[in-house]
Amino acid sequence: MMNSMNDLLEELKKLFGNFEVQEIDEREVKIDVESDKVVGILTTLKSKGYSHLSLLTCVDWINENKFELIYILYSWQNGCKFIVATWIERKNPKFVTVMNLWPVARFYEREIHEFFGVEFEGNDDMKPLILELWDDIPPLRKDFDPLEYSKKKFPGRQYDKDVIQEALIFRGDKNG
Amino acid sequence: MTIFKVAAVLLTGFFVGLTLEGIARKIIARVQRRYGPPWYQNFIDVFKALSKHGFSHGWIFDFGVLMALGGVIATLSFVPLGNLVAFPGLDNVFVVLYLFAVGALGMAMGMVGSGNPNASIGVARALTQMLGYEVPYLVSLAAIIFYYKTSSISNLMNLQADSWNLFKMPIGAAVAFISLMGMLGKKPFDTPIAPAEIASGPMVELSSKYMGLLMLMHTFSIFVEISLFVDIFLGGGSYLVFLLKFTVVWIIATLISAVLPRFRIEQVVKFYWRVPLGLAFLQAFFVLIGWVF
Amino acid sequence: MSYERTIWEKIADNLRSRSMWMLHYCTGCGAVELPPSMTSRFDMERLGMGPMATPRQADIFLITGYLSVKTLRRVIYTYEQMPDPKYVVGFGSCTINGGIYYDSYATINRVDYYIPVDLYIAGCMPRPEAIFEAFTELMRMIRKGEAIGWKKYKENYEWYKQNQLKSLGEVYVHDEFHE
Repeated sequence: MMNSMNDLLEELKKLFGNFEVQEIDEREVKIDVESDKVVGILTTLKSKGYSHLSLLTCVDWINENKFELIYILYSWQNGCKFIVATWIERKNPKFVTVMNLWPVARFYEREIHEFFGVEFEGNDDMKPLILELWDDIPPLRKDFDPLEYSKKKFPGRQYDKDVIQEALIFRGDKNG
Repeated sequence: MTIFKVAAVLLTGFFVGLTLEGIARKIIARVQRRYGPPWYQNFIDVFKALSKHGFSHGWIFDFGVLMALGGVIATLSFVPLGNLVAFPGLDNVFVVLYLFAVGALGMAMGMVGSGNPNASIGVARALTQMLGYEVPYLVSLAAIIFYYKTSSISNLMNLQADSWNLFKMPIGAAVAFISLMGMLGKKPFDTPIAPAEIASGPMVELSSKYMGLLMLMHTFSIFVEISLFVDIFLGGGSYLVFLLKFTVVWIIATLISAVLPRFRIEQVVKFYWRVPLGLAFLQAFFVLIGWVF
Repeated sequence: MSYERTIWEKIADNLRSRSMWMLHYCTGCGAVELPPSMTSRFDMERLGMGPMATPRQADIFLITGYLSVKTLRRVIYTYEQMPDPKYVVGFGSCTINGGIYYDSYATINRVDYYIPVDLYIAGCMPRPEAIFEAFTELMRMIRKGEAIGWKKYKENYEWYKQNQLKSLGEVYVHDEFHE
């Protein structure tokens, strides 16, 4: 970890209390923070040079019954990355927008709303971004079954022969 | 008799024009180390296009396509091909230039009538490019008309019996050839029909029969433009000698275009109004003070 | 299945088989196989084929690779904009049965359920040799009058439309940035 990042972490801990730190790389650090401190930490990081929101994404942890929101901040001064992660409830997921910090977050938040169903309070623009006329639960949730949806919506080809078995025999996975 | 002569001119335009276009495709292929299509490929293309079932985009579109083809055919019948002159006495430079505008305007009208924005962009580019190449071309023509005190193409041809204008006024001939490349829409100047940028520009909405007619119109207009250059700068001669000169000019233009990339539209106009226009004025000045070889 | 043709239609089909202009719908990964088939190594133009920039001028509609729901709408638009007779070539496994995207929520599994496909090229990806094999076969089909997908689309329009609506909900394209 670089010295400047260490100093910044100490400062953040002083301001926002302790949190879990995971060092990924020499220039990459992941911090797990509580959801009410996220906006404060992001604001501080932005003012310290981590001004580029290179990604805002979401991970579905279905066993923990939680969503993990991930903000990746990049500094153009020293090429370091801060990965700020936070956990929110999977049932009726809600979070606050960071549109006032980074206007581009509007589109990341639209995408997350479309693919995970997370509501962002303060973002007025929650129209679907990529899918057209979607009619099921958000598709990147782990309880969504894409194969079943594909079978229901897009009929496949009916084969007279069992080609999959034949291919397995060809490949040598199975004895014919 | 006139009818047969007009028919002969038009059939020459059709067969020689399409054959030479096929040969040009072959030459470009060979330059790019490909085998290339057969020489009669363009005949197949035209007749195939005429055999399809197309879409119209309103009567302005239909009328524009017909006006383009009709205007160019009318122009072609006034152009002398060597000693084959359909309308003796009427083969004037100005008649040809004015009639040629009918075809171009018909095309512009029809294509804009299709309502596709790409077509409008293409037509706007074509007219801008016309503004670019017409000025140097006309200045160099004006020098020749001033020198010979006639604007009849047949007379201009006969007056070069001792020496071609290409050698008498080399700068003017070079200017006219550069302008000819722009008129033909050959490679550095094919901005109006840039397929990768604006989906072949004016032709974007042309389907089937309209495409076939426009391909014929393109062939005929190429024939008019090169014939004018050959008649004015490469001297007279019989019909066959004319066709030989025509082929040589066409092949040189094709070879130049085969190795060049494309200008942007403002680069086209800047280029034409800087280099060829300057040279054209220089040639006109030489003619005025009598420096003609 | 083959239709009765008049002598003029036979001549026209002969011409069509020797001058095939293609529209490439290259949203999938198959597009990378086309430059070698067009340039000096294989030279598509010697058979009279060439790329066209607009659907209005094209005879062949080449669908390379997978189609998502979103691109299928545009494909149907494009197909209906092409003048008759038109031929569709499905390129790569994804157009046949979904390929590796068989369980995707966004890509369709077979193209001929929505628009008629005259010929499929199997493979992931098919090499240029396979592309040429397919095009010579398509030329033979056009000459013999067997490539009649465009007639099938007219005759079974109801069936195709119903399939399109079933998978897409609505064929009309809504575009946020242009409305």
